[in-house]
Amino acid sequence: MKENVASATVFTLLLFFNTCLLNGQSPPGKPEIFKCRSPNKETFTCWWRPGADGGLPTNYSLAYHKEGEKFIHECPDYVTGGPNSCHFGKQYTSMWRTYIITVNATNEMGSTLSDEIYVDVTYIVEPDPPLNVVVEVKQPEDKKPYLWIKWSPPTLIDLKTGWFTLLYEIQLKPENAEEWETHFAGQQTDFKVLSLHPGQKYLVQVRCKPDHGYWSSWSPEYSIQIPSEFTMKDTTMWISVAVLSAVICLIIVWAVALKGYSMATCIFPPVPGPKIKGFDAHLLEKGKSEELLSALGCQDFPPTSDYEDLLVEYLEVDDSEDQHLMSVHSKEHPSQGMKPTYLDPDTDSGRGSCDSPSLLSEKCEEPQASPSTFCAPEVIEKPENPETTHTWDPQCRSMEGKTPCFHAGGSKCSTWPLPQPSQHNPRSSYHNIGDVCELAVRPTGAPATLLDKAGKDALKSSQISKPREEGKAAQQREVESFHSKTDKDTHWLLPQEKTPFGSTKPVDYVEIHKVNKDGALSLLPKQGNNSNQPEKPRDPENSKEYAKVSRVMDNNILVLVPDLHTKNVACSEESAKEAPPSLEQNQAEKGLADFPATPSNCRLQLGGLEYLDPACFTHSFH
Amino acid sequence: SLLLLLVSNLLLWQSVTPLPVCPGGAVRCQVTLRDLFDRAVVLSHYIHNLSSEMFSEFDKRYTQGRGFISKALNSCHTSSLATPEDKEQAQQISQKDFLSLIVSILRSWNEPLYHLVTEVRGMQEAPEAILSKAIEIEEQSKRLLEGMELILSQVHPETRENAVYSVWSGLPSLQMADEESRLFAYYNLLHCLRRDSHKIDNYLKLLKCRIVHDNNC
Repeated sequence: MKENVASATVFTLLLFFNTCLLNGQSPPGKPEIFKCRSPNKETFTCWWRPGADGGLPTNYSLAYHKEGEKFIHECPDYVTGGPNSCHFGKQYTSMWRTYIITVNATNEMGSTLSDEIYVDVTYIVEPDPPLNVVVEVKQPEDKKPYLWIKWSPPTLIDLKTGWFTLLYEIQLKPENAEEWETHFAGQQTDFKVLSLHPGQKYLVQVRCKPDHGYWSSWSPEYSIQIPSEFTMKDTTMWISVAVLSAVICLIIVWAVALKGYSMATCIFPPVPGPKIKGFDAHLLEKGKSEELLSALGCQDFPPTSDYEDLLVEYLEVDDSEDQHLMSVHSKEHPSQGMKPTYLDPDTDSGRGSCDSPSLLSEKCEEPQASPSTFCAPEVIEKPENPETTHTWDPQCRSMEGKTPCFHAGGSKCSTWPLPQPSQHNPRSSYHNIGDVCELAVRPTGAPATLLDKAGKDALKSSQISKPREEGKAAQQREVESFHSKTDKDTHWLLPQEKTPFGSTKPVDYVEIHKVNKDGALSLLPKQGNNSNQPEKPRDPENSKEYAKVSRVMDNNILVLVPDLHTKNVACSEESAKEAPPSLEQNQAEKGLADFPATPSNCRLQLGGLEYLDPACFTHSFH
Repeated sequence: SLLLLLVSNLLLWQSVTPLPVCPGGAVRCQVTLRDLFDRAVVLSHYIHNLSSEMFSEFDKRYTQGRGFISKALNSCHTSSLATPEDKEQAQQISQKDFLSLIVSILRSWNEPLYHLVTEVRGMQEAPEAILSKAIEIEEQSKRLLEGMELILSQVHPETRENAVYSVWSGLPSLQMADEESRLFAYYNLLHCLRRDSHKIDNYLKLLKCRIVHDNNC
């Protein structure tokens, strides 16, 4: 019987166990305490990982005892730390003491004890992240903006008594950057970041750590937008724009200054002045009109049809500045044809083709009756330069007998180019004396360098084709360009003209009062330099006609050629200073009156000065 | 002449008493006390860092996995000193007692540190890192002790030289023939050193805030 009971009991137990096993129930697996942490050295929490629960509800209990104590305590708080945790409050937490902790898992089937862990709160300190992170962009005046990061320590940490010591660290990066920029902040609760990229959006994080322990996790990212440095960029940009434009302006001004003359002449071609081929200023200075005239190759007067060619020769009187013109010219005498380089293209008018070697060779040997071509050995009268000796003579002499060089300007002679505005009149007065020979009178010592530009003329011949040259050619007819400052023999007193360049000797113009029958010029008394000045503005206004001077007689009588078939008009002798008569246009008109109406194209208005193209007269006569 | 020499030496000896840091008034001394505490805290912090590193390196190299921690319980020679174990207890100790306590702990470690250096140096294949740290800790501890005695004399000049300290008798253990026993002896020593250096550091930071900043760090 007993045996039966015993065996039945055993059988039942076995059956029970088998049933349990078949159900998959077992005692719980071994739990494991995997982490203990203290955020403030005043409390701490441990967490365990449960093992297999064995299919049955399992209870966990934590038991601990301290180093040096034998009393075993149970976890005071399973809740605060979450599931499977044990929280040790202040009264249960001791520093510098080892805790021996175990967790017991229990279910119906049994219980399982975890391994013991030995915990010293001293070494498990890990704070919470910092709180209240504030990020601002501060922009002090005159300084670059910086980032101001401010935070507060996590709660429940006692810093005041010194029980806990916190150290901080911040991290920031531009939004799209990969690497974080780390800055250790020590124990302070704010930080300045100075190196910023303006216009970027930055992310900022802060974390903290006890003096001895683990770093906290990072605070949430705080983003902030750095304003772009607009004012700085603006200022820089505008400064650079201003500098650039100033530089450009300077370059333009410099270029204009350098090439001002050439540009000005481009825009405003100078009025050509008269050019007389073969005119020797030197002779004129000496007062040897005879020689001068002979030098010019003029043997007879009035001009014959050959003079037609001479008409193209222009006495170019330039009383403009051009000291260097003078010098250049003087240099060039020996080397004819050397191109003068000077800044005032105005002074050339109907450049003397005689001086141009090419022209000389080509054209000077050919008599060209076409009036359209004008050889214009330019005589540029310069008021100032008495020394401008100029070897006009040889050239002209060589050309004596030959038709003067003609400027192959095409159909230019027949129609005188419209006179250009006489802006350059003051500067360069040209005498356009078609008849070189007629240009007899020349004030002694006149600095007018009629032929200074002999060399230049050669060059200018090339320029004759230019319209402005023709304008100058027209201008050349102006007898006024003869500078008459000294009284001396020929009272080629011309209205004084002051050149803007302050040439030493302005051109004097003398008004011709009347022309006697025999061609004598009676000049109005010249009232002196000063008085001439008011005349000066008047001069351009007056339309004056100038007649050619055929020669100067012994007693300083100008022999004019108002018109070709009038007789020589001798100018009355007047002291240069007394009566600076100018070539009165009346005389010319008188002479012209006999003419048929002058071709309109012969009469040029040049800044108020009317020029007659003697060539026109010549033609009409022929 | 010899007698004169002897007397002069004695006089010199007596004159070697630490001059008071603040000959002047208390106000000036506050500033100086702050400097002393700052320096003390720096030293204590440094010493603990060294101790912690030394322990970690030793454990990793020699005793990892042996479970010595379970045996090194309640085995520090300074456990007899009544040291506070939490903030509340620490705040209940008087300033004077606190300072004396710190000095006692430091004094208690003079001898163990000395022997530690000696023994590690005499080891076969002396671990250089551990040895250098031991030497450094010993030296800095001496300086910290001097500083603390200075602070004590300043804050509590009436305190006599405190002779209380714990005697260390672990030298024979360091010299045991059994490797495991010897290793445990070292382990225990370094473990206790790490703990006590942390104590000192924490206590000094507490005192600094209490004395210098009036509990308003």
